[in-house]
Amino acid sequence: MDSEPQLVIVGAGPAGLAAARAAALQGIQKILVIDRDDAPGGLPRFCNHPGFGLGYAAWPYRGPGFVRRLMRDLAGTNVAVECSTTLISVREGPAIEIVGPRLGNRTLRPRALVLATGIRESNRGNLMIPGARPEQGILTTGQLQQLVARKVALPDHIRRLAVVGTEHVAFSALITARHGGLRVSHMIGEEASIRSVAPARWMARAFGADLILGARLREIIARNDHVTAIRCETAKGLIDLTCDGVVLTGGWIPEIAALSGSGIAVDPKTRGPVIDQAMRTSLPGIFAAGNMLRSVESSGWAAIEGYRAGNLAARFIQGRLEPRQSAACLTAGDGIDYVVPQRWDPALTTDRGIPAFKPSVRVSRDIGRAQLCLSRDGVMAWIGSARRFRPYRRIQLDLESIMNGREGDWQLSVKPR
Amino acid sequence: MHRQGRNGARMSDRYDIAIIGAGVVGAAIAFELARHELRVALLEARPDPGDEASKGNSALMCTGVDTPANTLERQLVRRGYERYMREAPQLGLPIRKVGSIVLAWNGEQTATLERELASAASDGFDTVEMLEARDIYCRWPNFGPGIASGLWIPGEAIVDPFSTPYAYVRYAVANGVDFRPNWPVTSAERKGARWVLSGPQGQIDSGLVINAGGIRADRVDGLAGFHDFVVKPRRGQYIVLDKSARAIHDVIAMPAPTPETRGILISPTIFGNVLVGPTAEDVDDVDDRSVTQEGLAQLCHAMMRMVPALAREPVTTVFAGMRPATDKSTYQIIPRVQEGWITVAGIRSTGLSAALGIAEHVVGLVPSGMMRAKARAALQPISVPDLSETSLRPWQDEALVAKAPAYGEIVCHCERVSLGEVQAALAAPVPPRSLKCLKRRTRVMFGRCQGFYCGARMQKLFAAAQETRPPHG
Repeated sequence: MDSEPQLVIVGAGPAGLAAARAAALQGIQKILVIDRDDAPGGLPRFCNHPGFGLGYAAWPYRGPGFVRRLMRDLAGTNVAVECSTTLISVREGPAIEIVGPRLGNRTLRPRALVLATGIRESNRGNLMIPGARPEQGILTTGQLQQLVARKVALPDHIRRLAVVGTEHVAFSALITARHGGLRVSHMIGEEASIRSVAPARWMARAFGADLILGARLREIIARNDHVTAIRCETAKGLIDLTCDGVVLTGGWIPEIAALSGSGIAVDPKTRGPVIDQAMRTSLPGIFAAGNMLRSVESSGWAAIEGYRAGNLAARFIQGRLEPRQSAACLTAGDGIDYVVPQRWDPALTTDRGIPAFKPSVRVSRDIGRAQLCLSRDGVMAWIGSARRFRPYRRIQLDLESIMNGREGDWQLSVKPR
Repeated sequence: MHRQGRNGARMSDRYDIAIIGAGVVGAAIAFELARHELRVALLEARPDPGDEASKGNSALMCTGVDTPANTLERQLVRRGYERYMREAPQLGLPIRKVGSIVLAWNGEQTATLERELASAASDGFDTVEMLEARDIYCRWPNFGPGIASGLWIPGEAIVDPFSTPYAYVRYAVANGVDFRPNWPVTSAERKGARWVLSGPQGQIDSGLVINAGGIRADRVDGLAGFHDFVVKPRRGQYIVLDKSARAIHDVIAMPAPTPETRGILISPTIFGNVLVGPTAEDVDDVDDRSVTQEGLAQLCHAMMRMVPALAREPVTTVFAGMRPATDKSTYQIIPRVQEGWITVAGIRSTGLSAALGIAEHVVGLVPSGMMRAKARAALQPISVPDLSETSLRPWQDEALVAKAPAYGEIVCHCERVSLGEVQAALAAPVPPRSLKCLKRRTRVMFGRCQGFYCGARMQKLFAAAQETRPPHG
């Protein structure tokens, strides 16, 4: 890219690539997508099984297939994708410091910036799991997926894995292990049911994995620098499950290290940037989308958000997005994990050409049938009808009609019984 | 490389001095001896130098203030500190003199600190001073409540514990010392006035043996028939907090010592994290570097008491190190000059600080008839990469990136390590022979994601480098 790009997108995963497409369709001429990995695609790139892109695309692609589709969508556009290029820091402006083998270490000053840096999984250290610390054999799903995709052999003594966690990604670990010629002997989950969809249970069984629910990982046991078992706490007491390796899955953390010192507001609940319904962060001209906003949504949803952010960033560059006047604050109250977006600009309504968007919410535990309620400045403003809410599922609410252009501090909570 | 091509064959090489153990102490002795006209072998059982006690410590360069008065330990820590401050920068090693504050919560602890201050002052440590609670909270507002006073030791510094033994070995090798990794000694036999050391890789014979075997020093001494002490390994568990924690805490802080232990300290690391530890647990198995629920709970408790704001910071990792303590409370430096066997053991938790002092002391024990110093001009300087968070990182060096674009390709994102640095480390004269050592040489996989992003690529690069290298080359 010879001259300054008008729009820079950080992250070439589903959100970033969809953002690039949307901005290109809006007529933005110079779009640069940077990604720190050696090829575009983000996490789906290493997930060679179906289940990607639904909602954004018409059918569930395999991970790499969805990446190819997103890249195909950019054919013939003015989008440059520059890999092996890292975002170092962000400042108001927007101004970003980047470094890469081709671009070197430089500062870019685009008209707008879309952040789509994604997430990482919690590892053994983050989770402070006690026990032995062998050189190999304690992995995250992401690491396992990359080892298999990049054809890096695990040592011969690692053949049977225990998978910890029951989110979707745990079942991705199950499939990936099989692709890598490894067996998953056990899957454990802390709750009484799995977090992924119910049919995943059958898959675990079909793959020969013993699914143990209500079990919490307490210790990793090793001998001679090799994992030999995991010790779990269950209702029946401590049990040891024999395995040669452990895959810790899920526990997603938004990847926002490069934002430190930027002044971009971060929501302590999501650990990602605070945005409004136009995907704008607290700094002018800086947008954010995808799983860096919170953990964790599907790749299809990340792409939908990315598309929206790219579209609105393009409008911003073209002077067609009104600057923020004021905003209502949306916060998560009792029983709610988070609400995204956290700000709602009453001026941005669908009749002014801003595509509709519903806030998405997660409840923090399995609360069965319940009602959600919304208060404004401490006064109850709305009580929803009773329905079944499940944790780890996106709940979308049409709050715009309730908030009806009013500012204030809005808090969403689960109505106590 | 005169040894290449002899791999696998049993060999008997003659040396003037053989050092057993390339931990920080053995490596420092090799560093020292490399300046003399001697044939020196540095034998290491592990694939890499600094792979046992030297890899899991608090990474402090201590002045010696808190060592017991009138001991060899105090003398050597002091000398080691002096030399490190002067010589480490010439080896490329970073130092951050952040100072340390020893905290008292009550009158009894204040009295302990005042006794330490008096003992230190009488020994000539003149920059040490007592601080009142008010001054402490003024300078470090994030300390938890209840502090009564503190002993301020401004000279104490944080250093790179991994690159330090590596730099010593690099210098030794560049100046003629034979470094032999994967060379465990399984027998030591006295033949005339010499020692024959054997192991799976062959035999060497040497006029003098220096046992710097660390946590296995008693077993090594046992091979030669000496049984003066028993190693009582003491495990220390640590929590490493994310780099964001350094904005909250950037000084070495520790509680007033008790007769049993120096206690759990909270310190920034040279790599920009904050370290909480160590616990002090006597364990039976010298290789049991497990972390335990109890140990971690103890560390969290210490953190809550000293700097409660840190409890909200993300944890990057947890680890445990092993201190080479013995059944004796003092350094076990035993010069059996007549028998040609010098033992350097029981260095406990002061090895990193004292190493250059110990090396000088030990070299002084070698019969002077053996020693002839090399001409200064004949000595080959070396420099290891500076991995400090606060120095100029290679990716920041525009001229370097323009010349060698691999230094602009960051492969470990959390620690911002470039492909160029990894390639250089893999091609170094003393290359890493394990993935863990590649981590210590470059910082890859050491960050908050612990290899989630870069682990597979690093493993691939490492494996490729192993294939192109002769097994013992």
